[in-house]
Amino acid sequence: MKLNTTSAVISLGKELENESSKLYTELAKKYTRDEEFFSKAIKENKKFVADVERAYYEVITDAIEGCYAFNMESDTYKVDADSVMQTSDSDKLAVAVEEFENRIIKFYLDAAEHSGSLMADVPRAFTLVAKKREKRLEQMKSLLNSV
Amino acid sequence: MALLDEPIKGIPRLKNYINGEWVESKGKIVDVVNPATNEKIAEVPISTTEEINEAVEAAQAAFPEWRAKTPVARARCLFRLKELLEENFEEVSRIQTQEHGKCIDESRGETRRGIENVEVACGIPTLMQGPFSEDIARGIDEWIIRQPLGVFGIIGPFNFPFMIPLWSAPYAVATGNCVIIKPSSEVPLSQSKLAELAEEAGFPPGVWNVVHGGRTVVTGMLEHPDIKGISFVGSTPTAKYIYSKCGETGKRVIAQGGAKNFMLVMPDCDVENTVTAAMTSFFGNSGQRCLAAANLLVVGEDDKFYRNLVDKVVEKVSSIVVGNGLDESVQMGPLRDKEKKQNVLNYIEAGLQEGAKLLLDGRKPKIAGDYSDACFLGPSIFENVKPEMKIAREEIFGPVMSILRAPDLTAAIDICNNCDFANGHSIFTTSGKHARQFQHDIISGNAGINIGVVAPMAFFPFSGMKDSFFGVLHTQGQEAVRFFTESKVVIQRWF
Repeated sequence: MKLNTTSAVISLGKELENESSKLYTELAKKYTRDEEFFSKAIKENKKFVADVERAYYEVITDAIEGCYAFNMESDTYKVDADSVMQTSDSDKLAVAVEEFENRIIKFYLDAAEHSGSLMADVPRAFTLVAKKREKRLEQMKSLLNSV
Repeated sequence: MALLDEPIKGIPRLKNYINGEWVESKGKIVDVVNPATNEKIAEVPISTTEEINEAVEAAQAAFPEWRAKTPVARARCLFRLKELLEENFEEVSRIQTQEHGKCIDESRGETRRGIENVEVACGIPTLMQGPFSEDIARGIDEWIIRQPLGVFGIIGPFNFPFMIPLWSAPYAVATGNCVIIKPSSEVPLSQSKLAELAEEAGFPPGVWNVVHGGRTVVTGMLEHPDIKGISFVGSTPTAKYIYSKCGETGKRVIAQGGAKNFMLVMPDCDVENTVTAAMTSFFGNSGQRCLAAANLLVVGEDDKFYRNLVDKVVEKVSSIVVGNGLDESVQMGPLRDKEKKQNVLNYIEAGLQEGAKLLLDGRKPKIAGDYSDACFLGPSIFENVKPEMKIAREEIFGPVMSILRAPDLTAAIDICNNCDFANGHSIFTTSGKHARQFQHDIISGNAGINIGVVAPMAFFPFSGMKDSFFGVLHTQGQEAVRFFTESKVVIQRWF
């Protein structure tokens, strides 16, 4: 489905973060050694949603291009925690998780690029989340590869 | 996409809010219809002369006590209102979408703009300070005290039901006056919600009142000797009428009228960003905005640039998703009602008869979702429009873009300056020289440079010239503080 409006993009972001938290919950059960890492990540996901929403709600005005800035396709970014967790082999799971994470990172990077015409806070918020997620992905990769 | 939850459920019958009480009106009851679904969502009274008089009496009675409160105490009520508005941000926004039809991003933008005025008015302890000169002569000092006047009437339009009364009301009450707000009877719900929040914020009875209705309420305000001034936003003929009536009765007045805004596009503009800005400017709020661009004036004789720009505009505009504003994928909602849609259709017909070329015909729109097309229109684009044509001169107040050409910037500015309205013209250019010439020569209350919707922030006045504004001081910010206060000059000497 086409994502044209800021509202629709932010709703998808929320959906992705929820799915990501679902995945981390399952990963925490599977890798009890890293439970703390995943719990922290779940908390951080909530903060990502709050940060993006705050940037949006604090700068949105009737004068900016909130309804016309985006031209994204939601299917490009859709992730599914259940299908990732169905992967039993550890190596394959690590690959599936990485792909899962990269889709979400791509969502934030694309959203930042498309929202360039909005007041600077909105693209900045998307970019910051992308950067934090990139950093987290590196940590996750080393955790999953060390299993 | 699934619809967001509708906050207005059932069919509430709205009451007036007078003297801190929710009072049922004895007036005729009319329906409030959601233009997207064409369903009745509320009933609103058309209040009587007695009811507006009752409200003025209550406000006048509340005035001495309210003005005696310190500005800091009054500001604290506004701080609480601001907090409550933030807590209810989403509900207030969705109410606007339900009553007006605009899409949810636009409603949220409107809510934010409204809140910003409450925030600015929270600074009233310093905003109200007058200047002081020591020793205007030896041993004599002179200063200004700004004092409230009493009761003000605020008359809101249908296109921004929540925000526009907030261009005035927070400043009026912050300076110690009492207000009576008359929302448009087509979109009365968000002002009722705002009054609920004002009540919760602790404004004393009689300070903040809402009287629903139509012409009777407006006439009641204009004729009541205890109303000291009127702040009005609406059509130009009504703005002129209110301005002259206030002159007759010695009331202060801010009367904001209609518009016909030009967006000048220079061949040196950033095409991509200009096209995106044009989308919001022409088609945001379905064109029902006094700062909407209506005429796209392409400058220069470069036919290749012109064709490329117009093709890009048409391509992008063709993909606008029209539907119910509570669907987050929707970019343009319906017109407010069937009559307004018909008015726009009449203008499209007039454009065709005058010989303009209809590049994009929005008369039979594709609507996202299962809705009747009662109030919906798609975006329309006319090409080969001449400045003297009706569609280039008159306010259409709908999603119609008229494309004109001018050989150079000077000629383009002349076309704009010959327009009866002067609300929010803008230029899109990468040249500082062009921008400066535009800023200097354009006759426009608000002027945009690479900004398509020239909406001033709350700490700047919402200006307007020619037939777009009647009055002297404007809504918002410091000018609103001046409007709602008398300047008393004190000259003091001690023997």
